[in-house]
Amino acid sequence: MGAEATQISAFAAAAAHALCFAGLAAAHSFAGRGALISDPALALRLLVVCEAPLVIVVFSLLRRDPERCSLIKAAARGLLGLPIGAFLNAFGAIVLGAPVGIKYWTATTYWSLLMSLFTFVPAACVFGASKVDWQNVLSYSAVFLFSHASYCTSSNVVDCMISVPSHGAVIGAWLGAWPMPLDWERPWQEWPICVTYGAVAGHLIGMLVSLILIVAHKRRVRVKAD
Amino acid sequence: MGAASSPSCAALASWTVAAVLLQVAGLSLFLYGFFPVKPTLPGLSGAESYRTPSCGPVGGGEEPALPPDQLRSLYRELSGVPRVYDRLVLMVIDGLPAEFVLGRGGKPPSKEMMESMPYTQSLLAGCKAVGYHAKAAPPTVTMPRLKSMVSGAIGGFLDVALNFNTQAFLDDNLLDQLHAIGYKLVMLGDETWIKLFPTLFYRQDGVSSFYVKDTVEVDFNVSRHLEFELDAKDWDALILHYLGLDHVGHTGGRRSVLMTKKLKEMDDVIRRIHTASMSLQDSPDRTLLVVVSDHGMTEGGNHGGSSYEETDSLALFIGHSVESSYCSPYDQKEALQVDLAPTLALLFGIPIPKNNIGILLPELVNSLTDDQKLRSLELNSWQIVRLLQEQLPAICFEHCINPNDGWGIGMLPESTEEKLCHLLSKAYASHQSPRLHRDSDFKSVEAVGHFGTAVDAYYGFLRYASEWLSHRATDKPLYLLVSAISLMIVSCFSLAGIISCLFRGNSSSQVEQHSELHLDKHWHLDEVFVLMGMLLYVISLGSSSFVEEEQYTWHFLTSSLYLIFLFKTVQSMLKESNSTVLRKSEAKIFHRNNYSFLTSYKFGPGQRDGYKLYTVLVVLVSGRIIRAWHQGGVNWVHILDISKILAQADPYIIKCLQIISVLVVVVLYAVSLMLLRTRKVHVIGLWFSHLFCGLLVVLHIWESQLNTSVLINHSTTSIAQIFYAIASMSIVLTILVSPWVSPIHSEEAEPTSSSSSNPEKTVHLHGINYSVFLTGITYTMFWCLLQLLLQQAINAIPLLLILLQIISSVIHFSREKPLHRQWVQVVAMQLLGLTGHFGLGNTNSLASIDVAGAFVGISSYSTVLSGLLMFISTYGSPLLLYLGMVVYISVKDNDDISAPQLFKWSSILNKMIALPCLVPLLINSIALTSYTIVLLLMRNHLFVWSVFSPKYLYVCAATVCTYAGVLIIAMTAVYTCAVFSFRTRSYRNKSM
Ligand SMILES: [Zn+2]
Ligand SMILES: [Zn+2]
Repeated sequence: MGAEATQISAFAAAAAHALCFAGLAAAHSFAGRGALISDPALALRLLVVCEAPLVIVVFSLLRRDPERCSLIKAAARGLLGLPIGAFLNAFGAIVLGAPVGIKYWTATTYWSLLMSLFTFVPAACVFGASKVDWQNVLSYSAVFLFSHASYCTSSNVVDCMISVPSHGAVIGAWLGAWPMPLDWERPWQEWPICVTYGAVAGHLIGMLVSLILIVAHKRRVRVKAD
Repeated sequence: MGAASSPSCAALASWTVAAVLLQVAGLSLFLYGFFPVKPTLPGLSGAESYRTPSCGPVGGGEEPALPPDQLRSLYRELSGVPRVYDRLVLMVIDGLPAEFVLGRGGKPPSKEMMESMPYTQSLLAGCKAVGYHAKAAPPTVTMPRLKSMVSGAIGGFLDVALNFNTQAFLDDNLLDQLHAIGYKLVMLGDETWIKLFPTLFYRQDGVSSFYVKDTVEVDFNVSRHLEFELDAKDWDALILHYLGLDHVGHTGGRRSVLMTKKLKEMDDVIRRIHTASMSLQDSPDRTLLVVVSDHGMTEGGNHGGSSYEETDSLALFIGHSVESSYCSPYDQKEALQVDLAPTLALLFGIPIPKNNIGILLPELVNSLTDDQKLRSLELNSWQIVRLLQEQLPAICFEHCINPNDGWGIGMLPESTEEKLCHLLSKAYASHQSPRLHRDSDFKSVEAVGHFGTAVDAYYGFLRYASEWLSHRATDKPLYLLVSAISLMIVSCFSLAGIISCLFRGNSSSQVEQHSELHLDKHWHLDEVFVLMGMLLYVISLGSSSFVEEEQYTWHFLTSSLYLIFLFKTVQSMLKESNSTVLRKSEAKIFHRNNYSFLTSYKFGPGQRDGYKLYTVLVVLVSGRIIRAWHQGGVNWVHILDISKILAQADPYIIKCLQIISVLVVVVLYAVSLMLLRTRKVHVIGLWFSHLFCGLLVVLHIWESQLNTSVLINHSTTSIAQIFYAIASMSIVLTILVSPWVSPIHSEEAEPTSSSSSNPEKTVHLHGINYSVFLTGITYTMFWCLLQLLLQQAINAIPLLLILLQIISSVIHFSREKPLHRQWVQVVAMQLLGLTGHFGLGNTNSLASIDVAGAFVGISSYSTVLSGLLMFISTYGSPLLLYLGMVVYISVKDNDDISAPQLFKWSSILNKMIALPCLVPLLINSIALTSYTIVLLLMRNHLFVWSVFSPKYLYVCAATVCTYAGVLIIAMTAVYTCAVFSFRTRSYRNKSM
């Protein structure tokens, strides 16, 4: 599985996450406070535009098979994965009850592109079409934190970096949908505003958790080595 | 060893029954405590109501029953208020919102409405009539509202349950009082009145509120007597109850095209009565015409809940005492529906009914002098004080008005008693002061001022007391409720305990089996999700919005669970494509001992994974369409949905959709019978009977017209009756016969040299599965046809989609190597049923119950039958899922019974039905118990009667539905196994 190739330091992982976070922060400062509520489509577009190049470049650098696959090719995989992931996310959202009217069309599109950047694109950049890797990263969710949480091992730091934040984003978005039926009549209860808040919050928490797991593991390995 | 550690079948059953009985006991105790049949004062009030109330307990001062004439003159002497009217015409227009006549928020009604009631509007504009928005108390259903109009009391909430079982009304009320002073009463219209007062009327002609689609005949039957009655002078009170407008609402909503026509008809009746009463020679001014409605209606024409539209009922008075020179008829004048009782009692010189909590309407006594007005208010207050004394024995009229006695001092400040007493003494004092001055004929501005303050003081007392009395119903015996809840909690935990016992037994018996699923003891994603989802649902019950919009919660949870299934399917496909080589050898093993019918058509490994994926996708997409079909809920009910779009379209489109659904159900049944791969007579006979039933439903759909006012078609009734007869016969025959005719030997199941499976056992299992599958699929498909017959036309497609969801789920779960544990599968099916319940347009408000479906195929009124039909059509979807569960237990993977030593009838039964019965019971128990606790905590919430209590009735009905479903599953399986055990024994005896 090319363990030496994917062996990256905790510092590199932190830097990668920091870059992704910087993209979100930049989009937030461009859009200004409250832009998501007043014009969700615009704010989501800014988020996608700022985040997409960063995510694709960062995770293309972390690609699984650097000797066989060039950086350009990995980035192209990421670009291809963006619409596919967006389609999957949009399907999930609509099945769960997202409105399908023409009014919501643009917002849904940008939201699903953003979700794709959080979930699908990193994996597409790193793994390409390798079924084994996909199966590995998916199987984390089946036993996600419930059994042996020892999966942030040195051989798959990247798996951990991809899997934990994307699960965070999905769970956050899912929880973010709960306030929608309440009769508080606040503007942020509209689709997809609170879901986006939930997704971003979950993604950030996921990044933090994955960093903590990686650092904790490295420390454990070092202690054992001593 | 497995048999020893896992609980035995009999023990399991008896524990379960015990837990269920405990739950029933707790539930009935809670219902008894929370919805008390309110204690009412018995008997009629008599002459004592004109005397000052005495202290202490209200004595049963029995007075000799006087003949009517003497009683009438006695009342006249005592009351001090002259009778204002002699004759009463009470015209009840069922379901008329006050908005149609009086407008809303100070604005006159729309031009269309004004023009459809020209005579009434001219009376209002000419200040000859006065109208009130008389707020009706929920539940806004006819019978409790009629009761509260004539008695002035707000009945208990459970009156709605008795609405279908009207009984004679025994409490003190206006009509009995009028009867006692010799009034002759005539009743025309809704026969609810005759059920309430079976012996009271001098002449009566009841019409039935039974045929909801009849909007013309029902009112014609009332109006045809009008000419005769208006000419006849022998009656003193005439009650007219017009049902047509309510029926127009039920069939077409507020904006129905028939509405203006119906309003014109009602206006014409008002004109005829008014002109007839004005033209009486001897007493042109002695008739009072009261036009009231029992409740309003929602935008869709339903009622039962507590929205403004439903509670906004009309009270319009036309008579000389309301005339004035100046008026503003469209001001929003608010009153309560119960105010009708004291007002009419005082106007007609009879005692106010004992349990009345209403207040005299001020504009009705314009013709009286100031003293008489104050006297009327005094009488009203005395009656209220008597009622208060019953609830608060500390209140004493004499002590209140003589504060010198020092009674008021020792009390806690600001207690209810003190406040009431203070208000009462204030009113009494300001009433008495001008009386003291009367001798000194001192008629000055000061006297007028005194009158004003006295009236204000009386209303201050009356309003406070009335409000306190109407909120009084929320006082509950707490210890009773808490003990009821603890019973339910015990039952809930014992169900959970039984299930965990079952799991422990299973896992220890499966150690020897090398199935990878069972070795894996970790919690899976879907299992954790189900637990978290239940927790979130329980938490959401505490919020009134989530109760109102419960359809979101269920759809969200169900779709999420199926998305997780999708995810797991994709994952397993990835895994299998990664280890294809390994699989090929496995496939052969699995091929051998697989006898389930749905999977007996073999797919290649790739195809099999493909159909797994497609089945989940079908469930998800159908679920989303069902979700979009009815918007549902309360807050966003106006948002456009598919059913509204279709309702505006051509009615033939809906009819075609209905017929297509029937045909698809028939075809699906034929296909599933073909899966049995047998041409036995009984199967073919079943298929024919189903086909015939389908044709009957199509015929019924064709015959019944949409949105028309024709009389009930008798041919449709007989079609439905034939359907009931044939369907019930086919089902009963299938249940009884199918275990006897199922193959006990199968040529497919050649006793192969399988290492793990005992050949004899597999043969039995095959026969049992065959029989249960046949019974289950027959249940399901006949149930679908029944639903297509009973449900509203618009619900045909959602019903079909629910059926598709069931079939897809069953196929998805019926693989040799299941992806999910069995209890998760059962939960998934139950969730589908609950989501479907809301998908068929049900909500947690009583208004959404479809009354029309309760009368399909019934030719005469029967409480039991129509109640049953209403239950069937309301809980169609959850029951459908329980019936589908019977199919599921016949096709699910029974591999885990493969250890030969486990082969016993009881253990087969155990494996087959233990989880499908226990898991629904547990989930329902959790929902019931947690909602009961929520209701207890919310008992003082603002929305307790409008949001939380109706939902509780639904929760109770869902509990009944769960019991029924589980009973069907258990009975079917037990009967089948019993027959098979008998047959094997006799077969063995024969072969020996
Ligand atoms: Zn009514
Ligand atoms: Zn009605």
